[in-house]
Amino acid sequence: MFTGIKTYINTNSHEILLSLLQHIEISVIAAIITIIIAIPLAVVLLNHRRAGEFVLQVASVIQTIPSLAILGLLIPFVGIGTIPAIIALVLYALMPIFSNTYAGLTNIDPLLLEAADALGVSKRYKLFRIQFPLAMPLILSGIRIGVVMIIGTATLAALIGGGGLGTYILLGIQSNNNAALLVGAVLAAILALVASWLIKILAHISFKKLGIGVIVLAILGTGFYGVRSLITPKTETITVAGKMGGEPEILINLYKDVIEQDDPNINVVVKRNFGGTSFLFKALASKKIQIYPEFTGTVLTSLVKTKSGINHDPVKAYHTAKTAIATQHKMTFLRPMKYQNGYGMTVTKATAEKYHLKTISDLAAHPEFTAGYDPDFYQQEDGYPGLKKAYGLNFTKVRTMEPSLRYQALAAGKLQVADAYTTDPEIKKYGLVLLRDNKRFFPPYQGGPLMLTSFANTHPSVQKSLNKLAGKISTSDMQEMNYKVTVQHQKAAVVAKEYLKTHHLLKK
Amino acid sequence: MIRFEKVTKTYANEDALHNLDLSISAGELFVLVGPSGSGKTTLLKMINRLVVPTSGKVTIDDENVADMNLEELRRHTGYVLQAGALFPNMTVEQNAAIQLEALGWPEPKRHARILELLKRVDLAPELFLQRKPSELSGGEAQRVGIVRALASNPNLVLMDEPFSALDPLSKRQLQALVLELHRELKTTFVFVTHDMREAIRLADRLAVIHNGELQQLGKPADILADPANEFVRDFFDDPVARQRFLKQVIDSGFGRSISVDDQYVALKGSDTIFQWAALVQQTATQNIRVGNRLLEPVDLIDYMATLK
Repeated sequence: MFTGIKTYINTNSHEILLSLLQHIEISVIAAIITIIIAIPLAVVLLNHRRAGEFVLQVASVIQTIPSLAILGLLIPFVGIGTIPAIIALVLYALMPIFSNTYAGLTNIDPLLLEAADALGVSKRYKLFRIQFPLAMPLILSGIRIGVVMIIGTATLAALIGGGGLGTYILLGIQSNNNAALLVGAVLAAILALVASWLIKILAHISFKKLGIGVIVLAILGTGFYGVRSLITPKTETITVAGKMGGEPEILINLYKDVIEQDDPNINVVVKRNFGGTSFLFKALASKKIQIYPEFTGTVLTSLVKTKSGINHDPVKAYHTAKTAIATQHKMTFLRPMKYQNGYGMTVTKATAEKYHLKTISDLAAHPEFTAGYDPDFYQQEDGYPGLKKAYGLNFTKVRTMEPSLRYQALAAGKLQVADAYTTDPEIKKYGLVLLRDNKRFFPPYQGGPLMLTSFANTHPSVQKSLNKLAGKISTSDMQEMNYKVTVQHQKAAVVAKEYLKTHHLLKK
Repeated sequence: MIRFEKVTKTYANEDALHNLDLSISAGELFVLVGPSGSGKTTLLKMINRLVVPTSGKVTIDDENVADMNLEELRRHTGYVLQAGALFPNMTVEQNAAIQLEALGWPEPKRHARILELLKRVDLAPELFLQRKPSELSGGEAQRVGIVRALASNPNLVLMDEPFSALDPLSKRQLQALVLELHRELKTTFVFVTHDMREAIRLADRLAVIHNGELQQLGKPADILADPANEFVRDFFDDPVARQRFLKQVIDSGFGRSISVDDQYVALKGSDTIFQWAALVQQTATQNIRVGNRLLEPVDLIDYMATLK
């Protein structure tokens, strides 16, 4: 376990560091915006107690809305990425910072306020030299609560493509990778503790120094962004995003390498683990991203409406998908790679040899087999129910189980047959055999780059570069690469480059 | 000269002050005395416009305070509150110099002025300048409060129950300090208290306020000699205190021993405080003999000031 985490950190140290910095960036921006809103608001409402109480109520109501719901609600208005994440974080942290500032300012001994008035000090002097300093302990504890909350909630930003440490938590949950999960969770926790501690230290610094510090930080921050935007060459940036998991990450890195090699003026930004199908599709439609790898089967079953049933011939399926998505969504679906990543039926090598199994039809003769299925596969019409009819299968014992467990069960002899994704690295890991879909029951799932037609028309060179990958990468190539990334924890970028070099698609 | 003309203040349909006329002469140490809720503090706060009258007007040297520049008025008026009311986030020096800073005095001049005043109220500057209010005793905090009020050389000093939270000893010392400072500065002082002994001890003239109305106005001795009504009589003459009064004064060590032959007015334990006050005024020697102890008027008043 521990060595697993260590290798994971070693192989991904650069990305982890980037995510950490991104997490800090999102949190700091959200915290600053919250402070800029909450504190002046509290000051203004100080003389309007009724409105103050009202805002307090509203802020606590916002607090009770689950953060995921806020993120969901914001997508139609501000889209995806860091902006809605920051808005949601600001809405969240508003309550503790506002209520503490308000409480701090309203709970000052009235005798002291009377003294300030009676001595004839100016309003500004009273606010900055008397009210704020006296309320400061409460304000700072509000900021502390707010910042810790922001850092914790910012892990959810990953759900809407905002990046940050949540990427690792999400990745960990979805790919059952505890190392990634722990890296994300532990770093977020440490970050929260460090921030809380720093703010505690701030409590002992005078108000004046605090003000100077904030101004210096603001100047440095603007300077940093200014310089960064100045030194960044004025090239075009294309964002290529991928779905969750190792395989999409390899694909987007392949895209990046071929595009950047052909046109050095294009800078490709890859966003891995960006989200699910519908999320990526919306991101593409709203031009938040420019390209993402999609499968023919997914286009046909989920993204377009087709009159006829799904054609099971891969070439025809691609053409149907391409035409339909072009007319229905004004998107261009480039030619897919060779490999197919769809459902398949798998058995161990020993079982295959013992019973002479080569095709799915061969399974019909073995109703005594125990079968293990992914719950989705067991229920969906294009899964086991359809398959059963098409091939006349009739297993006496059928179990549904976690996708990753069914391979182990298969290897341990607890199952004789299971469903699989054809490029799953476990097929290589456990030496399994995929049975041929001789009746072409499963829709073809071939991966190809999807982009808006408007983008494709203005970027013919990108199309040309990506088309170099069309028809390349066999199913076993993909299994091999997935094995390296998901099981051996090698970097997707390195694995992608290696493949392109050995196949002479990339100059050395 | 401060003048209240037909001043009424109404809170939630109830009069806190009712149609009140009063004038305070320049240079006077004027005490507003009465039980809590009588309206005396409301009256004081009308002078620097912390409270605005519902009707009537308040003038200083014939100028209506409502027409004055508020910050100017307040920056040139000393104000002493209960327990000092020092700002806990500032040092003694910053607290004391707050009005000077508002008036735009340069730092060296401010420093010199605070130094001078701290010495005057018996606080060693080198020990106290940089202290925070949390490091001061109640008496020390109120001395700083007085320094703060006097720093800008005000023409008028307002004091709102400044010593009510202090122990009897600090209270007496500070009352003595106020008397000394008033004598030196010849500035108008308006002092609010609910403690009748404090009022008698400090006042050039005092006004007894009750239920938002003026009950009696005059010199302490006049009021003691001739209480205007039942309220004033009861307010100053606490029957329990009276019964034990002389015994307590003597037990507390006031007065001095004399021989039986000396000629002094005798005071009976059953007499009221007003009769004692009348005796003090009438007798040429102004001394009172009780058995073989001789009490001077100041002994009585000092003793009264130690009572709660």
